[in-house]
Amino acid sequence: MRPGSIEELAEFVSSDKGAIIPLGAGTQTFFGNPLRRADCVVNLGSLSRITEYVPADLTIHVEAGITLEELEHTLLQNNQFLPLDPWSGPAATLGGIAAANAQGPFRAVGTIRDWIIGMKVVEIDGRISKAGGRVVKNVTGYDLHKLYTGSLGTLAIIVEISLKLRAKFVRTATAIARFEDFESAAAGIAAVRHSAVQPVSCEWIGPENEVWLKFGEDPRAVDWQLRNLPAAEWKICEGPDEMSAWERLRHRYNAFGPVVVRAIGLPTAMREIIQEYRPGAWIAHALNGILLMQIASAEDIGRIRQKYRAIIEKAPLEVRREIPTFGLSGAEYDVMKRMKDAFDPEGRLNPGRHVDGEPHRGAVQGN
Amino acid sequence: MNKEVIGKLRRILPSAAVVEDETELLVYECDGLPLFKNRPDLVVFPRTTEQVAQVVRLANEYRIPFLPRGAGTGLSGGALAVEGGIVIELQRMNRILSIDIENRIAVVQPGVVNLHISQAAAPYGLYYAPDPSSQMSCSIGGNVAENSGGPHCLKYGMTTNHILAIEMVTARGEIIRLGNPAGEPIGLDLVGVIVGSEGTFGIVTEITVRLLPKPQAVKTLLAAFHSVEECSQTVSDVIAAGIVPSALEFVDAKTIEAVEASVYKAGYPLDAVAALLIEVDGFREGLEETSNAIVEICRRNRAYDVRVAKDDEERAKLWLGRKGAFGAMGRLAPDMITMDAVIPRTRLPEVLVAIDRMSERYGLGVANVFHAGDGNLHPLILFDSRYQDQVEKIFGMSEEIMKLCVDVGGSLSGEHGIGYEKKDFMDLVFTEADLNTMMRVKQVFNPDGLLNPAKIFPSRRGCTEIGKHTTTSTAEIGKKVEAILLGSPQKVQH
Repeated sequence: MRPGSIEELAEFVSSDKGAIIPLGAGTQTFFGNPLRRADCVVNLGSLSRITEYVPADLTIHVEAGITLEELEHTLLQNNQFLPLDPWSGPAATLGGIAAANAQGPFRAVGTIRDWIIGMKVVEIDGRISKAGGRVVKNVTGYDLHKLYTGSLGTLAIIVEISLKLRAKFVRTATAIARFEDFESAAAGIAAVRHSAVQPVSCEWIGPENEVWLKFGEDPRAVDWQLRNLPAAEWKICEGPDEMSAWERLRHRYNAFGPVVVRAIGLPTAMREIIQEYRPGAWIAHALNGILLMQIASAEDIGRIRQKYRAIIEKAPLEVRREIPTFGLSGAEYDVMKRMKDAFDPEGRLNPGRHVDGEPHRGAVQGN
Repeated sequence: MNKEVIGKLRRILPSAAVVEDETELLVYECDGLPLFKNRPDLVVFPRTTEQVAQVVRLANEYRIPFLPRGAGTGLSGGALAVEGGIVIELQRMNRILSIDIENRIAVVQPGVVNLHISQAAAPYGLYYAPDPSSQMSCSIGGNVAENSGGPHCLKYGMTTNHILAIEMVTARGEIIRLGNPAGEPIGLDLVGVIVGSEGTFGIVTEITVRLLPKPQAVKTLLAAFHSVEECSQTVSDVIAAGIVPSALEFVDAKTIEAVEASVYKAGYPLDAVAALLIEVDGFREGLEETSNAIVEICRRNRAYDVRVAKDDEERAKLWLGRKGAFGAMGRLAPDMITMDAVIPRTRLPEVLVAIDRMSERYGLGVANVFHAGDGNLHPLILFDSRYQDQVEKIFGMSEEIMKLCVDVGGSLSGEHGIGYEKKDFMDLVFTEADLNTMMRVKQVFNPDGLLNPAKIFPSRRGCTEIGKHTTTSTAEIGKKVEAILLGSPQKVQH
């Protein structure tokens, strides 16, 4: 099913009684708990219009099927951009990025949730509803778009998204240093934390022991930060070099596997987590407390979850059948499950992929 | 109130922390929006999360409506006890529990005053960014409920962008913890939807906030214009130039008149039709150039007087006028009501002209002082509550302003919330389907409707709430308010 309009989709969803699987560009299908059932895939690729773009307001309103690449292309003509670089790459659709809460290294100015100002969704009973609005600052009604973001299309089908935008950074530059060993890289990260620089990305890459710092916005502020980096042998990349470096990192991450987890902890805990679980390869968003780890075996997920919250980013189907993606439990599980039931009581939207695919467990583990 | 309930509350809390005296309760009959008043039956002052949970469970047992309240500075009637019941006053839960310098987070109780977080973090070069105008008195718990903004949220985002984790007492009295210090949602982003739910989803009892490093340098400038159009165009041009000011505030002639005649005298040019207070911050390097670029844009738009503050003292003075504007309005009229609406910033000139015409038509003065950078309007309607016709006109005028803003693609509130004040305007922006979906989400958190009833949703839809409490319509409350206001003229505090 490939709806040509939101109304057509609404009509179809309400008339069909099977399990509906919304799909964008299909860049995130490996993420989440395994589907319990799939009767009809709804491809949102034809809903890809820009419905309104007012550059002077720094807002854009798009249908969910538009790809990040198309969007960025349009924005670039007005010297604007959406400050995101999800690992899923430019082919991902905005609807897919929002549904999966897809992220990448560039996150100092927030993730997709921080840029969405409004959403329109089609609910499972065919009702079309919206939340938020079209202005950059708004506290009218509940922020349901926050709820839809990251819900993996299990609450409702995202069909339109309103975004706020940023003026393109006048200049960016990336400093890369390779440290001798794990401890010196850890010390390098700590030095960045203690310094006056404010990178928009700060990646700790292992086992190569590299630290990548991206700076952006005012060219003079970028220069000052490059001059005031903590002591290390920094290589500075700019222009096409910089772009290809980050593209390489994206491919590096996408080659991680077969089991990859996103562990979450305090920024200062990153070193300890890496040391304790010894991932084969890792990329840490070191200033945010987010650590992407390629781990040796699925059993490690349980070990990590004894102390930390961890999401399965990527794993073979048989692993995901055994181990829940989010590891939800306790009261938080209950609220999320009730939320799912409130939107989709018959469990027809992406059945099993989110909270409804997780076993109910007792107290929350980790911290 | 049932004596049995009071007796049981006194077993949960010290006797003095349960207030039932009618005179003492008067303080709690409204929040920062005195246009609507209703006295709660009881006010309790818990000091611990467990006490909050026990009070909530008791309220559930006896089916008594209850609601949280922070400093009572809210401007949409969010802390109005519409149906009476128990007000859970959180101001005594006012401890900063920890500041983690290295990880740049603070864990605080809901009654902590917004500004106190930044003061406590200041020795470490850190601060809490959202800065509502009431930051010297408003509480962080109230900020979470309302998703409060402030002048600097243009660059740094609203409260929602700075809340990482919460502890919350649910509507049925369960204690839950959501979020994590990385601010990374796991599963559904419940924290994201709870922030800004106006105290209708739960009572937040502990908050983990993000702290930011203080900017190295700040530049503040004031530009005066002979026309609103030129002033508005400057706002658009600054944004279009790719500059992200940390604040971009609009002040009109009426505001300048009031400010300059008051103790907040800031030296704003008295002959200006409109002025902009613009601030940029960040790394010292490059800031001078950014400031110069803004001066250039102002001049290109025929600003006739542009002053760049030379030092912190001059900066503080420029801000004094802006921050004191609400207080200074007392010079122009005995009463004032602060409206809040958002429009796309490109529509500023036409909307300001329309509000000006409305002001003439209604015969009520309007001063405009607002966050122009994000299109967040704050028309201040000036009136005298001793004249009933003026009070009546406010309701009509505020509805017209809302309609105007929605018509140009805007929204009902940028930072004050819907609360009680604007619930009947929700139809202007949301369809029946939109509101039903929101109601379903509310019922997930607040299934019996006992927590902060009769807020956000239009009155006639009150019947779809499971709790089925009788809701007083805005008009009815309006009548009550008129009576109260007429009986004892009082000054509106801001």
